[in-house]
Amino acid sequence: MRIGLVGLGRMGQGMGARLLSGGHELLVYNRTAGKSGDLEKAGAMVAATVAAACKDREIVISMVADDAALNEVAAGIQASLPNDAVHVSMGTHSAGAIKALAAAHAEKGQAFVAAPVLGRPDAAAAGQLVIVAAGAPAALKKCEPAFSLMGRKTVEAAATPESALAIKLANNFVLGCAIETMAEAFSLVRKYGVNPQVFYEVMTEGLFAAPAYKVYGKLMADASFDKPGFTTRLGLKDIKLALAAAELVNVPLPSGSVVRDRLVGAIAHGDGDKDWAVLAREQARACGLE
Amino acid sequence: MKIGFIGLGRMGRGMAHRLLGGGHDLVVHDVVRAAGDDFVRAGGRFADTVADLCAGREVVVTMLVEDAAVIDVALRPGGLCDSLPKGAIHVAMGTYGVAAIRTLGAAHAKAGQVLVAAPVLGRPDLAASGQLGIVAGGPEAAVRTCEPLLQLMGRKTFQAGELPESATAIKLANNMVLGCAMVAMAESFSLVRRYDVSPRVFYEVITEGLFSAPAYKGYGKTMVDETYDNVGSPITVGLKDANLIVAAADLARVPMPSLNIYRDRLLGAVAHGDGDRDQAVLAREQARAAGLE
Repeated sequence: MRIGLVGLGRMGQGMGARLLSGGHELLVYNRTAGKSGDLEKAGAMVAATVAAACKDREIVISMVADDAALNEVAAGIQASLPNDAVHVSMGTHSAGAIKALAAAHAEKGQAFVAAPVLGRPDAAAAGQLVIVAAGAPAALKKCEPAFSLMGRKTVEAAATPESALAIKLANNFVLGCAIETMAEAFSLVRKYGVNPQVFYEVMTEGLFAAPAYKVYGKLMADASFDKPGFTTRLGLKDIKLALAAAELVNVPLPSGSVVRDRLVGAIAHGDGDKDWAVLAREQARACGLE
Repeated sequence: MKIGFIGLGRMGRGMAHRLLGGGHDLVVHDVVRAAGDDFVRAGGRFADTVADLCAGREVVVTMLVEDAAVIDVALRPGGLCDSLPKGAIHVAMGTYGVAAIRTLGAAHAKAGQVLVAAPVLGRPDLAASGQLGIVAGGPEAAVRTCEPLLQLMGRKTFQAGELPESATAIKLANNMVLGCAMVAMAESFSLVRRYDVSPRVFYEVITEGLFSAPAYKGYGKTMVDETYDNVGSPITVGLKDANLIVAAADLARVPMPSLNIYRDRLLGAVAHGDGDRDQAVLAREQARAAGLE
């Protein structure tokens, strides 16, 4: 298949390499130059503009960091996407931005699929992402060969593209709540003289024997926040996206509001670039432990 | 060992049978006399009063439903404090509040006895099979004395610390993490439903990755299927526990904003007539808040 890829961050590079490994013809573009070296060696062609990256493509994938970046490249894609081609937006964006983008593509008679992913750069490089996809059935079918190279599983959300974002953002929201909850629990047991490692063992050996609790619980028990896998600032961005998606459809998320406030507090205390497990320290501050 | 066991409810009877099966000299007591029949048949003895039960016992285990019950059994005239030999150990294995545990600990100390708090993780089926998780708090020597008994009742014992209430804090914190996980799931289900996503699809996404744990698989499934009348732990019990956690946090001066949301949602569920339903009905309470029901 002839595929365009816009956005060569760590996620995009891994995904691009997977597409090349499947024998697809890949044309790549990045807003800042110098990111395409590895993919070129693996056989990718480089486009100088978004418009050029869309030329003769059957699918154009965008994998950019935020709504602002998406809006910057989206105009070019809308102007240059060939008839019958599909724009697949795979970044984590606001439900509002995806809804607007879907409408803009529809107006031009273009096919659009939202397909945000679960997984980090290592999963992207290994083709082990979980892809949450939504769009017209024919467009989804067209993307399937590309999805099966990039992910280990594709989950179909619902009819509207923004429904895929709802799932992705809700998943991140559940994680944020789990982190905040653990932070509160650790501060409670610490006040009763309990070694955090003991509470960690109790929690993770039974009901919560899952990666979310094992990974973030360990960081909290060890007070190890300086090697961020995901920073407080990025956590805040995700929780705000979840709250905005909820507000758009009139769903109150009281737990989300708590998490947002704690993240804001952590940033206020200088922990913005730490791992977002640092919410444990923010909560400890709130109860006079730090 | 010479053991007494008070409280033969669904949890207690499984635990007491494990002790009897371990070859210990067991005397049991319950306010319902008939609850002791199968223990007598199996070689145990039923004591008609707490005072009778306490005579000559090295360890007495209580598995009672709430603070008021354990305080009454321990402090009333002829209760544990009056009747246990000096140096004997009271192992309180129910889920109690910090204040109650402190009151018990002080009363036993005054009577020359020792309190160990050893709340358990697990339901009646695990109690019957000796597979509970047990969190033990109390003086090290006393916990060591109890160790053979705890090994019969549980698959693992966690050492909380020298103070009985340290075990209480762990048990309550664990319950809090569970309650808040349910609230977060409830909120996220209402969010995706508003985007016409099938709850089952979202359930599959979360439980196959970051949240592939019993808490999410069990309660998430109940929320997807809306089988709230199949009650594991009802809303009213969740509210009782939430109040114990709020009190423990209050005593230790720990603000817990997520806990307060959990407690408020429980109250709302009771207000809407769902008090006797499974705690997963928090999903419906949240759906109400979002205008979905």
